[in-house]
Amino acid sequence: MKGVLGLALIGALLLAPGQPVMAASGWAGDLTPLPQAEWNVRRAAHLLERAGFGGTPEQVAELAALSPREAVRRLVYFEGAPASTLAPFDQSDIFDAALDAFPPSRPATTDLAKAKGEAIGVKVKPAGNRPIQPVANKFFYWLRASRLETHRINYWWANRMLASPRPFEEKMALFWHGHFATTEEKVRDYRKMLAQLELFQREGRGNFRTLLVGVAQDPAMLAFLDAGINVKGAPNENFAREIMELFSMGVGNYSEQDIREAARAFTGWNFQGLAFHVDADRHDDAEKTVLGRSGRFDGVDVIDIILQQPVTAEYIAGKLYAFFVRSDPDPGLKKKLGDLLRANRYEIAPFMEAVLLSKDFHAPESVATHIKSPVELIVSTYRKLGVKEMPGVPDFNEVSSALGQRLLYPPTVAGWAGGRSWVTPGLLILRGNFALDVVFPDISFLPEDRYPSYSTGNEIRAVHERIRAGLDMTSATRPVDKDGGMDMMAASSRNVDRDEDFNTRFASYRGWQMAIERVKPIPRTIARLDLTRMVIGAGCKTALDAVRHFEGRFLSVPLDDKSRNAIAEFLGKELGTSDLLAAETYAEDALRLTLHLIMSRPEYQLG
Amino acid sequence: MSENNATRRRLMQGALATIGLNGIAPLLAPGIFSGIARAAAASAAANDRILVVLEMSGGNDGLNTVVPYGDDAYYRLRPAIGIREKQLRKLDAMHGLNPGMSGFERLWKDGQLAIVHGCGYDNPSFSHFTSMAYWHTATPNSGADTGWFGRLADRMSPQPKPNFLINVDAAQSLAVTSRVHTPVVFDDPEKFMREGLQQQRALLDQVPDAANGNASRAFLNDVARSARDASSLVRQAWHAYKSPVDYGINPLGLNKVAACIAASLPTRLYYTAYRNNAFDTHVQQVDLHQRLLTYTADAVLAFLRDMERLGQADRVAVLAFSEFGRRAKENASLGTDHGTANVMFFAGKGVRGGHYGERSSLAALDAGDNLVHTADFRRSYATAIDGWLRLGASQDVLRGRFQPFDIFA
Repeated sequence: MKGVLGLALIGALLLAPGQPVMAASGWAGDLTPLPQAEWNVRRAAHLLERAGFGGTPEQVAELAALSPREAVRRLVYFEGAPASTLAPFDQSDIFDAALDAFPPSRPATTDLAKAKGEAIGVKVKPAGNRPIQPVANKFFYWLRASRLETHRINYWWANRMLASPRPFEEKMALFWHGHFATTEEKVRDYRKMLAQLELFQREGRGNFRTLLVGVAQDPAMLAFLDAGINVKGAPNENFAREIMELFSMGVGNYSEQDIREAARAFTGWNFQGLAFHVDADRHDDAEKTVLGRSGRFDGVDVIDIILQQPVTAEYIAGKLYAFFVRSDPDPGLKKKLGDLLRANRYEIAPFMEAVLLSKDFHAPESVATHIKSPVELIVSTYRKLGVKEMPGVPDFNEVSSALGQRLLYPPTVAGWAGGRSWVTPGLLILRGNFALDVVFPDISFLPEDRYPSYSTGNEIRAVHERIRAGLDMTSATRPVDKDGGMDMMAASSRNVDRDEDFNTRFASYRGWQMAIERVKPIPRTIARLDLTRMVIGAGCKTALDAVRHFEGRFLSVPLDDKSRNAIAEFLGKELGTSDLLAAETYAEDALRLTLHLIMSRPEYQLG
Repeated sequence: MSENNATRRRLMQGALATIGLNGIAPLLAPGIFSGIARAAAASAAANDRILVVLEMSGGNDGLNTVVPYGDDAYYRLRPAIGIREKQLRKLDAMHGLNPGMSGFERLWKDGQLAIVHGCGYDNPSFSHFTSMAYWHTATPNSGADTGWFGRLADRMSPQPKPNFLINVDAAQSLAVTSRVHTPVVFDDPEKFMREGLQQQRALLDQVPDAANGNASRAFLNDVARSARDASSLVRQAWHAYKSPVDYGINPLGLNKVAACIAASLPTRLYYTAYRNNAFDTHVQQVDLHQRLLTYTADAVLAFLRDMERLGQADRVAVLAFSEFGRRAKENASLGTDHGTANVMFFAGKGVRGGHYGERSSLAALDAGDNLVHTADFRRSYATAIDGWLRLGASQDVLRGRFQPFDIFA
């Protein structure tokens, strides 16, 4: 065991109790670079936490051995970082061309089939009494298949966050996903969601103009904001409003008139398949006046006008800063950050380099004051444990959703509110329960990509059982009565399935079967931990040493002495001795309980 | 997903119970529960009224909710999505409810539904986020960091009181953000439980004090304290709760509120909301909007029936609102864009049913085809604060004087 003592020291260095928590204040707002003399393991851990998703003490030590600038450039520009060997997303074979023009709703789909004799690739009889059920089945098939495939994309992405030697790439993509928040719920096509994510991964550190134009012409975004209905003569403001309000300038920096005029410039913008497409006949080519400028603008012209507004650089810089550093830059600092981004001509990487290298980034106001998002919490937990691949149990999507951050399904077009909104009493408890699932696998786990378990899951399973028992379709799909009978039954429960041509509940069931036949399963591996080897390998000899190692490895702030001693006492009691080495052969469960205690604490939410 | 987990855990608990290994019971803290129930009973003699707020997020289309079918201008503005007279649930010669709202029709006939017309504010924002922030803080353009519901809690109990304010949701609303209280925020009561082994319990329940000047850390400690104080109570309430009343497809958290009330929690203020801007109906809105209104009306009616069943109907009133109404004129996509003035609702046994305020004129829209509000929305908040809760504190809480409507006897 080489370097045993060194690793133990790392734990101690990271969080020596009694030592002042931070260097002198007065750094807040100071964007000059951190001097070499101030660089240490603690600051390297802070950098890796924010620019990536944290890491093992060994990974932190590697960064600490560089100069501060080298460390930042290694993360931001990958200088000296190995190339990623991670595979591109492995798609399931679920799409067919007839699904490209997917109608907006189930009624729209079945009405189309009734009227035309064909919808989403299902050809029903040309006239007369058309069997509509297969159309409804396929409609639900695609809804479910696209959703399940999107969950696989999330797994692929989470695994990159965990395993990539270039975590900043994924961190930037995560930022832009929250900024340009688009949801599969509405887009209903995993292919578009994947293409958008790849855009964020590819361009996330590049130029903001490239990115903004890319997003404005991105099929997922165009579908999400109903760009297709924004046409000459009947402009829809949704797209233009969100571009100004959420994506570039922030509310209050433009007029309602600007929105209406900008909407005209975006008329005719749409997509065909997975490509951007301008429908020239539907584009309003006449003169518009946007933000004081007039001309026969199209969408790209409007984006360029928006980028010329000083407020745009401030807004984007402020959002980046809030995500990577802290949520409350004062107006003076905000202005400085805007100037910095503009001076870099909206190039994200040099801007981020300056921010991550600054004294401000290492000021007490910035360090360990960030409340980790659910995705940061999950990924950094595994990274710090040294786990190399995202485990299948617990399910990444299930946990991140329950904690309030389901990737590729942001709650609104404004993304996630972040900051303190990540934690409520209910959510803090769930964060601790996640830690328990990490150290002791949940044996009642059910794979949600096979077993129907969304809010409609009970219904699907009930239909499944009754159909197989030989019930006719109507009886098999009847809602389960409540004790109170019809009088207590809500109108919504009484009025289902009025359409007699087909049965929606059956379609929902059959669609699920069709989807799980085609969508590849998520591997359900469980992380194999060896905390005994971790702490003994780090040179720990006593229960207190082990607690200190966990503290240094997993927490960004030191525990108070009372809590640390209480936890060490707990571990000693579980081991029956405070001598860790004497307990080596049976220490594992006790160490896991101890780590669960630490990860359940309020301090573990800080990064 | 959460439904399934809940089911799964219930199944597990059932299984454990049948083999005599119910691991849940020892984790509860029965002492706290009975203590708070006693305190609640003691205060019942005084004013112990409960206010429940339901947020219809996304901008509910008020014109297609309470339809002014007696006004021809309505059909001129909405030739495609206007709801025809014969489909409506008529209230009188001018107004009819959306066909999906049989639950509200029942309440109206029972005299338990008040409709407040024309609610809005000056210089309306068309942004969901900005407008919702106005409704949450009740102080447009102030940048306030507390919500009106949170300030109301501070006024009702100037000392921190565990479990005084409950927000059923995955994330905390700005409306409930308080100076004094840490709101109890939970989504699934089944999961509102710290899991852990018996020997870990003492340390899992220990809440640290140390924050070392780190405001985020101090905040997290407060949240941990609130979680510890509330979780076993809420979970017991949920387990004890069994109702024959059907809340419909989406109970909107009102069943969870009912469970807390049934268990005599000391909570006086409850807040629950639609998720994900559900009412943002830009495109093809008719079916979707009707469905959302059915959920709303079903859930509110069921909740009030449940209160009746529990003998709590005299204590409870519901206030429902949305951050704005929608454009009076329909758009080219069979939907409606963000608008302004809107209807608000009060429901409950203490409500004097009927119309309040003044309908915004369809003949005098503003330059953007929007309704002009006739009443500041804070008059409805003042109605809740002074009329229902009888606090005489609305000026304080709302930071301005707003005349309540005469909705509560």
